[in-house]
Amino acid sequence: MSVTGQVLRWTGLAVVGATVVLAVVLASRFGTDPGLVDSPLLGEPAPEFALAGLDGSEGVALSQLRGEVVVLNFFASWCLECREEHDDLVAASESFSDRDVTFVQIGYQEDPAESFAYLEEAGRSAATLYLADPGSRTAIAYGVFGIPETFFIDTEGTVVGKIIGEANALILGATIDAIIAGERPGQQITGDTRQQPDP
Amino acid sequence: MSERVRNVLIVAVMAVMAIALTLLVSTRPADVDRVEEIGSRIKCPVCQGESIANSPSPMAEDMMDLVSERVAAGVPDQEIIDELLGSYTGAVLLDPPASGSTLVLWLAPIAALAVGVGVIWWWQRHPGAVGDPPAPPTERSRTRLVVGGVVLIFAFAGILVVASNSLQDRPAPASGAADLADQDLTEVSDETMEAVVAANADNPQVNGMRLALAERYFDAGDYRSAFPHYLEVAEDPDATAAEAITALVRLSWMAYDGNDEVETATRLVEEALAIDPNSTVALYVKARVRWCGAGETDEAVTIFETLLADPGVDPETRARIESDLELARDGEGCP
Repeated sequence: MSVTGQVLRWTGLAVVGATVVLAVVLASRFGTDPGLVDSPLLGEPAPEFALAGLDGSEGVALSQLRGEVVVLNFFASWCLECREEHDDLVAASESFSDRDVTFVQIGYQEDPAESFAYLEEAGRSAATLYLADPGSRTAIAYGVFGIPETFFIDTEGTVVGKIIGEANALILGATIDAIIAGERPGQQITGDTRQQPDP
Repeated sequence: MSERVRNVLIVAVMAVMAIALTLLVSTRPADVDRVEEIGSRIKCPVCQGESIANSPSPMAEDMMDLVSERVAAGVPDQEIIDELLGSYTGAVLLDPPASGSTLVLWLAPIAALAVGVGVIWWWQRHPGAVGDPPAPPTERSRTRLVVGGVVLIFAFAGILVVASNSLQDRPAPASGAADLADQDLTEVSDETMEAVVAANADNPQVNGMRLALAERYFDAGDYRSAFPHYLEVAEDPDATAAEAITALVRLSWMAYDGNDEVETATRLVEEALAIDPNSTVALYVKARVRWCGAGETDEAVTIFETLLADPGVDPETRARIESDLELARDGEGCP
């Protein structure tokens, strides 16, 4: 083979090799849904917030709940999965109310009055704090990609668990049981989330 | 144009570009520009591949407001980005980081450029080679070409298969009731069981967990907590016969043992026997209620003897019945 042929052959092989490597890298990234990556908050102090109630009431600061397990859920009336899990959240909130466990539900990307009206219709737990998040500051601080997303904060104020997607009473209860037992359940993916209202 | 003039022009253009680039880099952008610049690097978490600066979504607007506030407060760009990275990870960056597995994405264009420059440089050094007539294909070279093509096709097919397999499916939403059958209840707290039962009150599949929870309370002597769960199962038309009998028998015993209501206890256990007249547990509780509550020792002895005649009674229950029968025959009080 001539020198030209050799150069062309090696150049061709180099281009093919580089293309294959590039394709493998791109292919490996296909499986990484940014909404499913482990939250960087796991194991970290929970971002502080001080929010008013959805009904305009005084609300609460996270620091006031130190010493309790906090179940922090982001929801909206336009989110079907949030509606599906609502009864389970209410049931778990009431069931664990005597165990130093506080449920906090924060309205996401919705007028607080609309969220509150939805709760009036769907039913509320007397043990749950329903809060408004103006400017989505708390949702941004917790890195919410879509709803429902539920964070679990231990008695020391550390984020120790997260559920992406619809939760149910069994998953909520089992996660709380694990936290009370001193474990760190980590992240669980249960289903789809909604990014914004359907057009 | 002479070569000298051309060279001077090239140098002049490069100098102007260098000066422009230096000015661009060294000039501190206005705050509005900074907000836009930072926003253009942050991916809108609720959109498909759009920056928060370009997305009209309310979430992107909220994030831009946050960036704007931080810029106005004099927070450096990198700190603002780090704040978002602390919540969202690198997935919130539009450009992949030039490190780790994505480094190759940054290096590939440079490598391709280097290869191209190298090839051009080599051709310029061997001008005669370009004009060489192509050698006629031999049988060997044709075979190599075919094999190479097949290998390439299989390689790309393999990559596609790996890629499609690596697509991460979100699991279907879990149903609390559907999970109940497989759940090891020894690991589940009373509170969790209460929550599951309350959330699935209309689902007959929850009766198993409801009874398991009631049994925990019953065994602990907490009749007050056990009662509503047994009553719920007893009144559920979708409950199985075994579930209904268990609930009625427990209600019967609690009516006698907890409230001394012998008539109610007898009525409830008769309801259980109406479902299954041969139910061992119902007959045993009936005998105990008649003996301990109503003082009907003879009736109890008859029932105990009937039960012992059944070879299907398990050894533990049989031992208990034999012990009770002995006490009843001796005229002893109910233990």
